[in-house]
Amino acid sequence: MSDLRDLYQEVILDHNKHPHNFGELNDADRHADGFNPLCGDKLVVYVNFDDEVITDVSFVGSGCAISKASASLMTDAVKGKTVTEARGLFEEFLSLVTDDKAQLNHATLGKLAVFEGVRDYPTRVKCASLAWHTLRAAVEDRHEVVTTE
Amino acid sequence: MPPYQGGGDMIESVTFEKTTYAELPNKFEAGTPHIAGAVGLGAAVDYLHKVGFDGIGSHEADLLAYGTEALADVDGLRLIGTAAEKASILSFVMEGAHPHDIGTIVDRDGVAIRTGHHCTQPVMDRFDIPATARASIAMYNTRDELDALARALKRVREMFPA
Repeated sequence: MSDLRDLYQEVILDHNKHPHNFGELNDADRHADGFNPLCGDKLVVYVNFDDEVITDVSFVGSGCAISKASASLMTDAVKGKTVTEARGLFEEFLSLVTDDKAQLNHATLGKLAVFEGVRDYPTRVKCASLAWHTLRAAVEDRHEVVTTE
Repeated sequence: MPPYQGGGDMIESVTFEKTTYAELPNKFEAGTPHIAGAVGLGAAVDYLHKVGFDGIGSHEADLLAYGTEALADVDGLRLIGTAAEKASILSFVMEGAHPHDIGTIVDRDGVAIRTGHHCTQPVMDRFDIPATARASIAMYNTRDELDALARALKRVREMFPA
């Protein structure tokens, strides 16, 4: 059994309390809604592009510490990346939170590695991944509400 | 209404020309009934009668009063539902800590509670909260367990300061 501090690392607690890129993006190129109806986590992700590059990204919403911190760290991580790079990061992130045998690229993951503890709490994977699935929907301009339940 | 599945005891007669289904409710109760479950339910009801509903009620009322006091000791905890004659349920929120985080943390201390909107979204809206954490007290619970809950909630408080 892992320690609770592996799940609730300081970085996660900080981002929960003071999320980065929190707020609507006026005149955003794209946005998408994410909602997990069973647990109530709810967010909107806004994205601006310059050609293939994500120039700005933000979110609003409410949820548990894991979902909020994940959205916050995600916006930091993908800002300035190309859509292809962001997609790769999403894949890497999903491996991080679900697969304890995955060969992880810590250099690519950077701060996102703090979510490694989530894989020991299968019921919380949906919290950690909601923002990412919602970002993907925004990038792909899909309009249905995203859920990870 | 056609039967949703076939099986033992749901037909009256079958020929190549015509099938007649059994009368209700048998038509919808194909196959072997849940016999073990029914016997188990009977045994549970017998057991409850033997213990006595008065005793169960007073035990639960005692634990509810004890638990209410124990939780009052946790900073920034607010009970949701405080009716005088309520059932032995402690539903609550904690400032700065989402119910799902509360649930995960107390679970690690061996205390299993329910978290979420409990299929009562209109009540959540009424109290303007996304969800609650909820401890349900039953005849088999003890004061020690409520102490364990209160201790675990203080750990939540340490991790998520109000």
